[in-house]
Amino acid sequence: MAAPETRDPVVEVGTKEPTKPAYKYVGKSVTRIDSVAKVTGASRFSTDFYLKGMLHAKILFSDRPYARIIDIDISKALALPGVKAVITGDDAPIRRYGVYLKDKTILAKGEVRYIGDRVAAVAAVTERIAEQAVSLIKVRYEDLDPLLDTTAALKEGASRLHPDVAEYEAGFPYIRYGNVCMEAELARGDVATAFAESDVVLEAVYRTGAVNQAPIEPHACVAGFDHRGRLTVWTATQQLSVCHAELAAALEIPMVDVRVIPLECGGGFGGKLDTNLEPLTALLAQKAGRAVRLAMTREEEFVAANNRAPFEIKIKLGATSDGKLTGGEVDIVADAGAYADHVVGTASHALSSSEGVYRFPSWKVRTRAVYTNNPDYGCMRGYGTIQALFALETHLDALARKIAIDPAELRLANLVEDGDELISSAALHDVHIRETMETALDRSGYWEKKGSMGPNRGIGIANIVKTVGLLSSSATVRLNEDGTVAITTAAVEIGCGTHTVLSQIAAEVLDVPIDRVSVGAPESDSTAYDLGSIASRTVFDNGSAVRLATEDLRAKIVECAARELGCDADEVMITEGRVHDVSSLEGGMTLEAVAGTSIYGAEGPLVGFGVWSAYRHHDDPVGGGFAEGIYPTFGFGTHVAEVEIDPGTGQVSILDYTACHDVGKAINPMALEGQIEGGVAQGLGGALWEEMLVSDGRILNPNLVDYRLPTIMDVPRVQISLVEVPDALGPFGAKGIGEHPILGPGPSIANAIADASGVLVNQIPVTPERLLDAIDASTPG
Amino acid sequence: MDIELNVNGDMLHVVVSPGEVLIDTLRESAGLTGSKKGCATGDCGACTVLLDGRPVTSCLVLSVSAQGKGVTTIEGLADETGLHPVQEGFVAMGAVQCGYCTPGMVMMATAVLAEQPHPTDAQIRAGLAGNLCRCTGYGKIIAAVQSAALMMAEEA
Repeated sequence: MAAPETRDPVVEVGTKEPTKPAYKYVGKSVTRIDSVAKVTGASRFSTDFYLKGMLHAKILFSDRPYARIIDIDISKALALPGVKAVITGDDAPIRRYGVYLKDKTILAKGEVRYIGDRVAAVAAVTERIAEQAVSLIKVRYEDLDPLLDTTAALKEGASRLHPDVAEYEAGFPYIRYGNVCMEAELARGDVATAFAESDVVLEAVYRTGAVNQAPIEPHACVAGFDHRGRLTVWTATQQLSVCHAELAAALEIPMVDVRVIPLECGGGFGGKLDTNLEPLTALLAQKAGRAVRLAMTREEEFVAANNRAPFEIKIKLGATSDGKLTGGEVDIVADAGAYADHVVGTASHALSSSEGVYRFPSWKVRTRAVYTNNPDYGCMRGYGTIQALFALETHLDALARKIAIDPAELRLANLVEDGDELISSAALHDVHIRETMETALDRSGYWEKKGSMGPNRGIGIANIVKTVGLLSSSATVRLNEDGTVAITTAAVEIGCGTHTVLSQIAAEVLDVPIDRVSVGAPESDSTAYDLGSIASRTVFDNGSAVRLATEDLRAKIVECAARELGCDADEVMITEGRVHDVSSLEGGMTLEAVAGTSIYGAEGPLVGFGVWSAYRHHDDPVGGGFAEGIYPTFGFGTHVAEVEIDPGTGQVSILDYTACHDVGKAINPMALEGQIEGGVAQGLGGALWEEMLVSDGRILNPNLVDYRLPTIMDVPRVQISLVEVPDALGPFGAKGIGEHPILGPGPSIANAIADASGVLVNQIPVTPERLLDAIDASTPG
Repeated sequence: MDIELNVNGDMLHVVVSPGEVLIDTLRESAGLTGSKKGCATGDCGACTVLLDGRPVTSCLVLSVSAQGKGVTTIEGLADETGLHPVQEGFVAMGAVQCGYCTPGMVMMATAVLAEQPHPTDAQIRAGLAGNLCRCTGYGKIIAAVQSAALMMAEEA
């Protein structure tokens, strides 16, 4: 049977004419190298890994938000036939660990700080016995008064969940005190004077909900020690290298004694960063002396994953009556839950992205991540930027309404350009927000539709900016004996098509057919450092490492072949996997012959190395986290949403959705479209339906019925346009796209609803109840 | 208790406990890990298999109730001539990302096309309403099913 032809999607190009070199493999929608295994059920995910004779584990989670542990009686659990090990906080290393702030132990010691804190764990011959044993563990608690929101936690005299917060080890220094596990503040210009001289000043508070990453694959891992006492862990992770280092640190053993083997990852979205189950599973395996498997149920997945933290953002903006922005002040409070995890990072990112894509002559922003006894929040796709842009982009619409100017006009009059500086960055480069905005407004028919859509219908826009690239990556590319080419890198494929794109990059650099290039399964024993498949960075950073490694290999191939052919290196080139004289496609050597010559000759095997760091490519680094330039570039975009609301029920229907993104260069347009469509769908979830309801520290809806993921019935067709102007730094000009699409739906939908109803709901998700309440509140009488 | 069922054309004799569900029998006794467990409550659709040709969420089917029946899992869909058109469609149209929902999605799409060989997009949406995907936003899945329908029409 014939497969349909792979199609190249229609790519809209922005106003700047891009340079379009003729590429053979880059820019093509080649089918993914992992898709046949995935449609036949052959792929092995973390949940599919079993070892003969392994044990099964279950965790005893705390069922109270804040309590002192008086004692734990494990005797009945240990006596249950089939139970091989029971561990408690006493078995866990004393040293705390954590990726930003070292504030947690593998199992709770002395106190539990949230419903879900890990109190004890059991390994038994079956999962059912382990579950039964967990129910036999008796814990005596002394309940303490829990801090159930950030306001209570910030109050003077509030009990301190981590009295040692200032002494905990941190990756880098930042302010910590009371229940605040991170505080940062930045300012530019004189905001007070700017407000005093503004015609309009508007202030409001915006809130974003706790969102579960909800990969369809729940967390699972297997850990065991080999005959030499070396730990091996099979898991699903977004960050192989970081998982390796954090796991070793948590267990206080050298990294050389730990091996991490990533299995196929069934979705990450920020839920499979650094470590989660791995340290606990390893500790159990150590105690039991046998391999142990630990897998989460869907309910445990809500409790045990570090979900997107809820934020409260107070924002005050000033403008002149003709629509010039004068200044802004933002105060961000993030609920970190019981441990800091990535909320330190997301609260910091919210600070960095608080200005969005606009020129504010003055700006002042403070951010705080605050411990509470709520679930142990972390991060999700969008990483702090999603919360900050919801507040800014919806508040801009409110401001536009107040000064009676179209929200698109207000935005267009204040956009940043190349050379401008954001609050936390040096001069911006490769800024294409004007192009994405004009394209999205044009493609959506914004100007024709605005104001003429009829009752209960509305249109809303949102501008997007998000960092691209972060820290470092490495890769090796080697020439095999038969002339095929093997890429080795620690970058994991979590579903985005990363490995396919890496093979396209190597094929392009070497000019070898793509089916002659492999991307090896990463594992910690054989692949060098990569920060991971996170932060919209993998194509940009790891792709750069693969590009450099392949260029290195290419130079070695050319040198070897030139010597063999008796000419200079600049007199030969590679075409379709053959090294030949630049003047003729005839003759020359196959790559197989080059490999043979080198391996059995003086040259030795040909291996290219690529080391990439986003840092060192700037004299003056661009972008910033803690006002420190660590981000190499930014990706821009504009979304336009059209909705219809039912004022009787509060239901919102999405009529149309347009997304235009500045992507630098689409290396695989089909995979890139998939990132945009999927990101928009997730963004719509957080905009309209998805929220973890937490009451008294307890998640009320930890299942896929009460927690409402977008279904195929909910997600509209997304009209996608790309602006492709090559970035100065990315491989073949590519920027990143992983997170950008999720940033648009929150504000564009809220703005469209406000346009339709005349009422701004300042909280996502905009549930029917919230919309009806807002409509009621705005109705006189 | 002993049961006998036909899985992808092979007879399988297994001992199951009374409360055991089909997904566990398939994954753990038959070693067929292609079908995925995403929720164990019938809400995500990742465990969808065909039971006597009809789609079921195998996490809600008691194994004993499958006694004597025929089960088709994702591993049984391709034959010696190659991938099933639905599988071809998913590969060609970029409908696969992380791939965890894919086995259930492909099995349900196969059932949808058996029922309705020339579906509208709305019929595809209705047919796949119980299968969650967190990666794709579903657009390319709809395109994949349409492409499979075309391929099957050409073959017929």
